[in-house]
Formats: sequence, structure tokens, C-alpha cells
Amino acid sequence: MTYRISVDTGGTFTDVVVNDGNGNFSIGKSLTTPDRIFEGMRNAMVNVAQDMSTSLEDLLENTSLLIYGTTRATNAIVTKTVAKTALLTTQGFPDVLVLKEGGKFNPHDFSQDYPHPYLPRRHTFEIEERVGSEGQIIIPLNIEEAGRTIGRLGEQNFEAIAVCLLWSIADPSHELQLGALIEEMLPGVPYTLSHQLISVVREYRRASATAIDASLKPLMQAHLRDLEGDLRLAGYQGEVLVSTAAGGCSSIDALIEKPIYTVGSGPAMAPIAARTYSAMEGMGEDVIVCDTGGTTFDVGVVRDGRLTFSRDTWLGPRYTGDLLGISAVDMRSIGAGGGSIAWIDDGGLMRVGPMSAGSVPGPACYGRGGTKPTVSDAAVVLGYFDPDYFLGGRMKLDVEAARHAVHGVALQIGLTIEETAFRILGLASDLMVRAIGDVTINEGVNPRESTIVAGGGAAGVNIMLIARELGCGKVILPGSASALSAAGMQFANIVAEEAQSLVTLSNRFDAVRVNEVFDELENKLDAFRRKLPGRGDAYAIERIGEARYLGQIWELDTPLPMDRFFGDDDLAAYVGAFHDVHERVFAVRDPNSPIETVSWKARLKVALSEPPVPAPSVEFSEVKPGAATRPCFFGGKTPLEVPIYKPGDLAPGSRIQGPAIIEETTTTLVVYPDMAVSISGNGNYLLEIA
Amino acid sequence: MTDTTEADFDPYMTAIISNRIDGIIREMTNTLLRAARSGVINGARDFSCSICTGDNRLLASAEGLPIHIFGSHMQTQAMCDFAGDELAEGDCYLHNDPYSGNTHAGDHTYLVPVFIDGEHLFTAVAKAHQADIGNALPTTYMAGAKDQYAEGALIFPAVRIQRNHEMVEDVVRMCRSRIRVPDQWYGDFLAGIGAARIAERRLKELCAKYGKEQIKAFVRHWFAYSEQRMIQAIRALPRVTLTNSGAHDPFGDLLPEGIPLKVTIDIDPEKALIELDLTDNGDNVECGFNESEACTSASTITGIFNALDSSVPRNYGSFSRIRLKLRDGCVAGRPKFPHSCSVATTNVADRLVNIVQSAFAELGEGWGLAEGGLGMGAGCAVVSGKDHRADNAAYVNQLFLANAGGPGSPSADGWITYGLPVAAGLMYRDSVEIDELKHPIAIRFLRLMEGTGGAGKFRGAPAMEVAYGPKEQPMDVIWPCDGTVYPPKGVRGGGDGFRCRHWKVGANGQEEELPNIAVLKIRKDEYVRGNQAGGGGYGNPLERDPRRVLSDVIERYETLERANDIYGVVFSGSDPDTMGIDEAATARRRAELRRAAA
Repeated sequence: MTYRISVDTGGTFTDVVVNDGNGNFSIGKSLTTPDRIFEGMRNAMVNVAQDMSTSLEDLLENTSLLIYGTTRATNAIVTKTVAKTALLTTQGFPDVLVLKEGGKFNPHDFSQDYPHPYLPRRHTFEIEERVGSEGQIIIPLNIEEAGRTIGRLGEQNFEAIAVCLLWSIADPSHELQLGALIEEMLPGVPYTLSHQLISVVREYRRASATAIDASLKPLMQAHLRDLEGDLRLAGYQGEVLVSTAAGGCSSIDALIEKPIYTVGSGPAMAPIAARTYSAMEGMGEDVIVCDTGGTTFDVGVVRDGRLTFSRDTWLGPRYTGDLLGISAVDMRSIGAGGGSIAWIDDGGLMRVGPMSAGSVPGPACYGRGGTKPTVSDAAVVLGYFDPDYFLGGRMKLDVEAARHAVHGVALQIGLTIEETAFRILGLASDLMVRAIGDVTINEGVNPRESTIVAGGGAAGVNIMLIARELGCGKVILPGSASALSAAGMQFANIVAEEAQSLVTLSNRFDAVRVNEVFDELENKLDAFRRKLPGRGDAYAIERIGEARYLGQIWELDTPLPMDRFFGDDDLAAYVGAFHDVHERVFAVRDPNSPIETVSWKARLKVALSEPPVPAPSVEFSEVKPGAATRPCFFGGKTPLEVPIYKPGDLAPGSRIQGPAIIEETTTTLVVYPDMAVSISGNGNYLLEIA
Repeated sequence: MTDTTEADFDPYMTAIISNRIDGIIREMTNTLLRAARSGVINGARDFSCSICTGDNRLLASAEGLPIHIFGSHMQTQAMCDFAGDELAEGDCYLHNDPYSGNTHAGDHTYLVPVFIDGEHLFTAVAKAHQADIGNALPTTYMAGAKDQYAEGALIFPAVRIQRNHEMVEDVVRMCRSRIRVPDQWYGDFLAGIGAARIAERRLKELCAKYGKEQIKAFVRHWFAYSEQRMIQAIRALPRVTLTNSGAHDPFGDLLPEGIPLKVTIDIDPEKALIELDLTDNGDNVECGFNESEACTSASTITGIFNALDSSVPRNYGSFSRIRLKLRDGCVAGRPKFPHSCSVATTNVADRLVNIVQSAFAELGEGWGLAEGGLGMGAGCAVVSGKDHRADNAAYVNQLFLANAGGPGSPSADGWITYGLPVAAGLMYRDSVEIDELKHPIAIRFLRLMEGTGGAGKFRGAPAMEVAYGPKEQPMDVIWPCDGTVYPPKGVRGGGDGFRCRHWKVGANGQEEELPNIAVLKIRKDEYVRGNQAGGGGYGNPLERDPRRVLSDVIERYETLERANDIYGVVFSGSDPDTMGIDEAATARRRAELRRAAA
């Protein structure tokens, strides 16, 4: 028997999913151990092994592939513990990281300081050189002076160096010379050259990505090597891959080379899981994935079975955070969850968030001193949680504290506590609906024609309300909902992407040069692929142009309908594909405008698993409610007596008419009146939205 | 608790529907930003989207620029007045007339009336500053125009550009015959209409979902709620009358003293009203610096919002607690035709924002703001010419390379990418590479200048300097700068921001200092260089937290000299990684400076 293990180390919990080779998943959870990540990983694996009636040793011995997802890089950035990093930039342009791209949310709010740049301003060093926008050398590289600067970096104990020069994407020679100089003068000090990491126009994006990447190199190299060592010591002999923000996984070597791709890699796996579950249940290729945690709500979109990507991912808030710059799976996060606080403002309007009770003191119902009414308190007041069986009985909930907290808001708006609680839940759901709206609008996806896949421990409380609000009739709550990212890794491909900038217009198209670019990109990908042991021919290469109408500056990813440009037909097909994308996203097309492609991408996908098998079909039949019931409120003044189901009451084919509550150990599903849920042949919950 | 809230106010549904309306405006904004062609829109975000009610009250504006949106209702009013009974579903109107509600002719506004069951319930408004509008000179800021005729632009006082969703091609042909780089204009035109049409579609969906009656109730409630928030904000103020004055820079021989400006602000917390009196200002001037009524209102209301709780919604409800006294034929009031309002959105408007927000600093510590950096110099010039790389095709666009620095506030230093008081940091900045790609321009440097933010307990943001010239063919460079003579002022003991200065550098390296308002032709190997202003400081610099001064010095925002001479902070050591504050020496130095000042 050959197992496959995926591990998602989150900030709080480490999730482990073991696939027994027949598509059966077992899930284990343990607290994350930041000092030595392997400890938590081992605890979670022991936890699963017990469930599978085997030992850790047997499990590891019979596993051929382990996929590791880490928040190490993200945490280092948040806690400001990255390497001491220097930025080398073109003389005259020292403030690229300070100035960013401008923008701000509230024009009347002057209460906040301008954010500090990702690297301190004094760690930016100007290099005498200048390349022009057409690749011409305007000022030659002053190699002597550059040598003196790099020498000083050594004296000042810089641990990593980011190099981002203007127009290095048009002529990389100056960046390459600086790279060679660093290797010669400061051997072993890791560095990143912007044109090699991220070949896009716009100096801030390139500089930000390059600075982030270089600053992560020392620690991620140590982290990944240590982890690999720990796994080998524990007796694991199979292959180790690491999940990436590019929506797949890759080798440890590749991520030591470009560690920025581990940032946000956990959430990037959720759409992969969502896409697979939707396919299994025969629910189509347009999918909205929602992952509800205690403090954040993450949402992403799969369109036509493809993941969606963005170069606009911010670490921290938009405008004031730091831009990731790389083309990463587009998962948006808003601060909304069980801890969000409800309040009435001085104009009498009801609000939820942005303040959160966090985990300390947490919602009032946690009984840790919280007094503000939160979304979780609302759910408790409404009777949705069993106070004695929360998280499988691991935590006891204080119902009186929750009622007391909600009472304050209820008094202000003149409603009962239960009516108020239902509105708190409704408003929180509405914020999530809005977040979904923002993502789907951006991609031209219609929620009414999509399937929602919900994950995260808190998803079941209001996902049906959200789906009803969006007019979305197809909703899946997978059996692995509480470990959606780890589940996604089980379905991930090896993904590698290479991109090169080459600006060309459709009305004077340089097909020869474009074809050469793709030859180069694919050579690099082939070389990478050949280094992967034991891979057959189960791979594919997608080719994409980042294109826009002449004069626009924001590109749209346009898939090439063919491998290379040979004749006018090929160009016409590509141009047609762009018009279609533009019309889908912006509702207009300008058929007479030339199309400008600024860069070209090739994305390699090596399949690690078979395509998903459709769920075995089952006959659905109503389940008789057991004896357990509880009064629950659904917006009115008086409660309904609602049957409570446990996982043991249910099997594939079970159908439950709402109102009902289903209590799993890691999540609670609220089935609202007039709605229903059934269990598919794969054990996933299929929700019927009224 | 409530004065205006109506009996059927629903705190829950009002919150839900206002969320949806905001979402619609964000979708409009996204469409216009990404689909537009000119850098001024797609790079700098010099545009705004809003929604007005069918009876012409501003309902919502999300992240719109304050100067743009506070007058949208005047434009929808003009549309209704001009179209009368002809107003119909499927219409779209173009409006850029500063005499019937627009800001200045350079802002093209697309108005789509939204009909629900035959009733005109909303108007979707998308306003975008254009790269060119067919003025006599290749700029949308005709500082020297003696009147509107001399500007030369096509004026559209709510002219129908779509009927039954079909384009009125006559108007398109007129624009194509007059506006420079017509394909660029047309792309922006399509993007603007697209944004307004998306709002129309979404508003119809919203009404279908909740029902027309509930949406009408929402509109009532939203205005009542917003007014209530404003009432609470004004009640937190003392009963006082504030006056403040300032001036726009001189303009050659025409305005040797510049344009003096004055405002009186009467705050009545009991009635929860603020009255702004601008009648004591001079008559219209014979150049492009006159304010349109929309800009006078928007800039002064912006100043008030900057001084209040920043979370008060901006719409008819909250504005109804502000009364404006304006005078006809006044430079900062209602203009008398045919005076030119070509530069109405920035220069005098920026000064009005500043004198209103800084007037509130008179209320005491914790109130108001310093003056924000201003002046659109070389960093925000309109450039045009021929592009040798594209068969000498024409180009024209406004640059947004360098920003003026933001004002110090009671709790924070100035915002570095502030830009101008009328934009307040909302606009985006150009990428150096994108500007060089789109235009045949070579940028030589772009950087912050040490020690240029007005000193203060909270200092102004530093000034930014830039240098650039053409690559091959000559380039027309036009800017109407302010802040070269009269700097942005500090308040409550804070220092002034650094002034703007500009030079033209010849092919031989010789430098010639330029006047504040420049119309230049720059040839190959020549270039312009100069800086935007720094922001004014808030409060006494001797009260600045020494740790902030230390951080400023090691991060090179402030010089050691200014730390010692103005802030009175003395350091131990000189290595940035280990430098510290010498507390005792700092206390002595500060006492010394206080004595000297007394």
C-alpha cells in the first residue's frame, strides 16, 4: 500500500491528511510547534496513524510522497524576523520601496503614519548605471563603485541582497554583473536578481518581490533543509515536495531558489481542493471557494476549471502593505469571522467588525472575560452550538455570557436578543457576500452559475445564508472541510512557471521573437522537469500572454490557443481570445484597437494524481430524526424545536430536511428552514439552498 | 439619541443595502481603472464614481476623490433640466460644463439615468479627468486663458451621447476632430460609459431583489442616518467662529500678489450646523484660476470633513448640515461667464481645502490639520509631442510622478504620497517604467528630499524631486504650479513645508530657474528638474517624540542639523544601527531652544 501525506502547518494548527491510495482521506490535527515544525507535524501524523490503526513508522515507511505546506515565510515577514537585506537600485531612484504605487482608502483620515518600507530606507544603496526602456545602455555600470558598495555590505553584515535595476527586464546585463560581483566578493550570501524572479514592467512590483524573496532566502533554506533532515531521521525515504503560491507544488531546491513562492501557499491550495470536489460531485468547473477561520474569511475563484491568478496580492492591507508581485493564486482575505464584534454606531446603524475579539479574550461565550457581542455569541444565542459539545466537547460555552453580550445591542435597536443575534449573523454573512462579490466581479464569474465549496471550521454556521444571498444553488461542504488546504495538496500538480517580458503589438507582431521566447521558457521548464525523479509523460504546458489594448496599463492573462505563432490564423486566434477575455471582465470590447502583449508565460503542470473520479451515485432518502432536539431561532421571536444529528446518524444517501443541526467534531452545519442537505457517495455534504 | 431618524428606520437593512451600493461603486471604479487608455485614468486614478438619486441628491461615492464627487448632484440636475421629458432609459449624457455643475472642463462626466419600472430612480455618475480635451494648448489646465473662449475646449452641458444604448456618433465625430490622440480619448470614453452602464445593471438587480419600495425607504434612511452622524460630529465641536486666510501664488504681471483667499467658519453645535462664508473674496480673475461652484463647494466641504470624524458618510444627508455662502462673480464662489475655470480642481481649490482644515487647529491641541503640500509642478506636468518609436505618432498625457507631501495631523506625520489637498493620497502614482514605455521620455531621477517636511510635533511629509526630458523629438511640457512663493503653512507652532522650485537644464548643463507657471518646449538632451512641496507641520517640534526624530535621522527623512537646531534632539553615537538618544543632552538642548524662542 502506498500512502500520500500532505501537511499544512498553519499559525495555530498543523493539519495532516493521509490518502490511502484509494482516495480515502484520514485527517489529523495538532498544535503547530514553531520552534521545530517537525514536532507538531509528527504529533498530527501519530494522531492520524492511530485513527488508521497503524504506527507512525509504518505510515512513513509506506508513504511515497509527502507534500509540505508552510507559513514559515509569512510568519517571518509578519514578525519582522527576515534576514538583514540590502536593496541595490538604480542611482537616482532610491525610494521605490517607500513610494510604492500610491493610493489610500479614506481621504479624510489623517490619523495614521505612512507605512515603513519593506526594507529600511537606509538599507537601499544606489548603483551608478541606467538602462533605457528600449534596452539601451544610457549610463554604463560603474563596476568599481559597485564593488565598493558591495564590500561595505559585507562589512555591515548584510545577510541577503536584492538587486532591482530599472529596465533590467529589457537588458539584464547590469543585474547579472552585480550578481557575479556578489558571488565573487561575498560568496555564500544569497541574492535575488529582479529580472530572474519576476519579469514584469513596473519597478515597484519587481523591487518589492525581489526584496521579499531575498530577505527570505537564509531562513527558508535552513527551514526546508532542517525539515527534510528531520523527516529522513524519522525514517521517511520517499519524496518531499512543497506547496507554492503558484497553485501547485515544487521541489525543495526550487523553493530555496525562490522562497517567495511559499508565501500564501496554504490558502492557494484551497481552490485546488474546491475544483476537485466540484468535479467529483459533477457540479461543474466554475467554483467559488470560501474558507472561514476564526478571524479571517478567505475567498477565491476557479473559472472553467482553471485557478485564477493575480499579481496584486498584498502582504498586509492594500496600499499600505507590501506587494507580493508574483503571479499567485488569487485568494482574498477579509477580517470577518466568529470573533467579529457587533455594535450600533452613533447614527443608529448596526455594524459588525472591523474590530474583533480575536482569540484573547475571544467571544463572550468562551468565558475568558470577553464581554463584546461577537458573531460566535450570536450563533450561541440562536442555539446553533451545543454548549457542552463545542469542538467535540473540548470547550464548554458560556451561554449566559453570550446572551448578556448580545443584550446590549438588542436594547439599542429595540428587538429581542434572538432577533438581534440573527441580524448579527446576517450582517456578518453580508460582509462575506460582498467579499465574494469583489472576487467574482473581478473575474467575470457569475455566482448564480457557480458552485460554492466551503471549508474551515466555522463555515457551516452561515454558508447556506451566504449561498442564498448570492443566488447560488450548488454548495458542497466536503468531508475534509476543516482541512481544506491540506486536502488541496493531495490533488495538486507539480507546477512551475517561467515568464519573460517582450513587448509586442498585434499590428506589428514579432512572431519569430515570441516563438523564441517560448522556446527559451520551455527549455527551462524541461530542464526543471527532468530533474524530478520518476516522472513520466503526464505533463502539460500552458502558454499565456499578459496582454492589454494599446494604451491600457493593466494586463489580462490570455491563454494561447496554440503552441507557437506560425501564420495569421494563429495570431487572429490569440487576438480573438484577448477580446473575449476583455469583454468577459470589463463588459466591452474594442475590436479595432491593437493589442499589446507585455510578457509571456509558460506554466508547466506535472500531474501527481489521476483525475478525480465522479462520486458513486446513491439513492437519497430522508433520515428519521433521533431523539435529540434543541430550540433554535431563525430570525423570529419564538424558537423552532430542531433535531440534532451526529455523524453516526448519517451515511451516503442520507437526506435531511431543515431546520436541522449537524454536529461534527470539527464543525457544525446549520440547515436552515426550507433548506436541506444530503450526503453524496463520497461523504460530502451537498446543500440544497431554498 | 436621534434627531432625524425616522420611525421605520431599520438599522439592519440599511446596513445591508448600503454595503451593496458601495459594492456597485467599487465595481464601477474597477472597470474604469482597468479598461481606460490614458495614464491619467488607468495609472493615476484621476477619476471618481458616484450614484445620485433621481431627484439629484448625492447618495454614495465610495473611494471617489473629494473634489470630484461633491458636486455630482449639480450635474445630474443639469441633465434633468436639459433633457426634461426626453430623459429615457438607454440614455447616456456627457457633461463637462463648469457653468452647470461640473468641476472643470478637463473632467468628462458620463451620466446614465437608471429607470426602475419607468421611474427615474438613480443616476450613475462616472467622472474622469482627460488626457486632452482639445484646448488651445496641449494641456487640460489652461492657466493663462483669459476666458472660456481662450481655453478652446469643446463644452458639453449634459449632451446626449447614447440613446437606446446606441452611440450618438455625431458627438464622437466632433470629439475625434478636436481632441488630441483621438483613439486614446475614445478608449477612455468607452471605459467611462462602461462604468456607468455597469452601475445601471447592478442598480436594477438591487431593486429587483429588494423591491422598489424598500430601496426608496433605504434612500430616506441612509440620508437620515448620514445626517445623524454629521449632527453627532458637529455636536462634539465648541460654539465658535473661525476665520482663516491664505493666498494662491502670484502669476506673472497679471496677479502680482497672487489670489488672496479668506474663509469664515461658523460652528453652531446646538443647531448642529456649520456655515462657511466665502463671500469676502475677490472678483473673478482674467485667467484659468477661477473656481467653479462645484469646486468651491467640494474643496471647502473637504476641509471640514478632514477636520471631523473621518467615518461620517459623504452624501446629501451629511452635507445638509453644512451651509455655504457664496458670491456670484467671485474667484472662490460662483463664476461669472465667460471666466475660465480651467484650473478649478487644483490650485485655488487646494488652498481652500488647506485654509478650512487648518482653521480648525485654532480649536486647540488635537483639532484640525496643518496645510498639505500643494502645487502641480514638473512631477505632474502635461507632456505631449511625437513618439519617434511609433512612426512619430502623437502623444499627450498628464504625468503623476512626484507628489507633494501631506500635512502633519494631531496624531500622525504627513502622508508621503499625498499628492494634493484635493486628492489626499487617493490617487495612484505613475511607474517610472510605464511612463518611459508609454511616452518617449527619459526620467533622470525621482526621490524624496531630506529635511523638507514642515517641522512639528507631527511633521509634514517630505518634498519629492524629479528630472526628465524627451528622448528624441521635442516635448511640450506645461504645468500650473502653486506653492513656489507661498509655502504650505504649519499650525500650532509647526513649521512650513518646503516650497516648490523648478529649473530648465540646457544641453550644456546650464540651469535656468523657471517661474511657477510654465509652458515649455524641451529638446533632446535638455531636461527639467524640480520639486513638489513638503507638507506643513503640526505642533511644536520641541514636543516631538525624540524616538521619531531618531528614526527620521537614521532613515534619512531629517538631517542631523535640523534634529539639533529645530527639534533639539541630541544623539549618542553615529552608526545608524546603534545610534541612541542622549536624553540629558536633549533635555538641555530643548530648554535652550525654548528660552531662545521666548
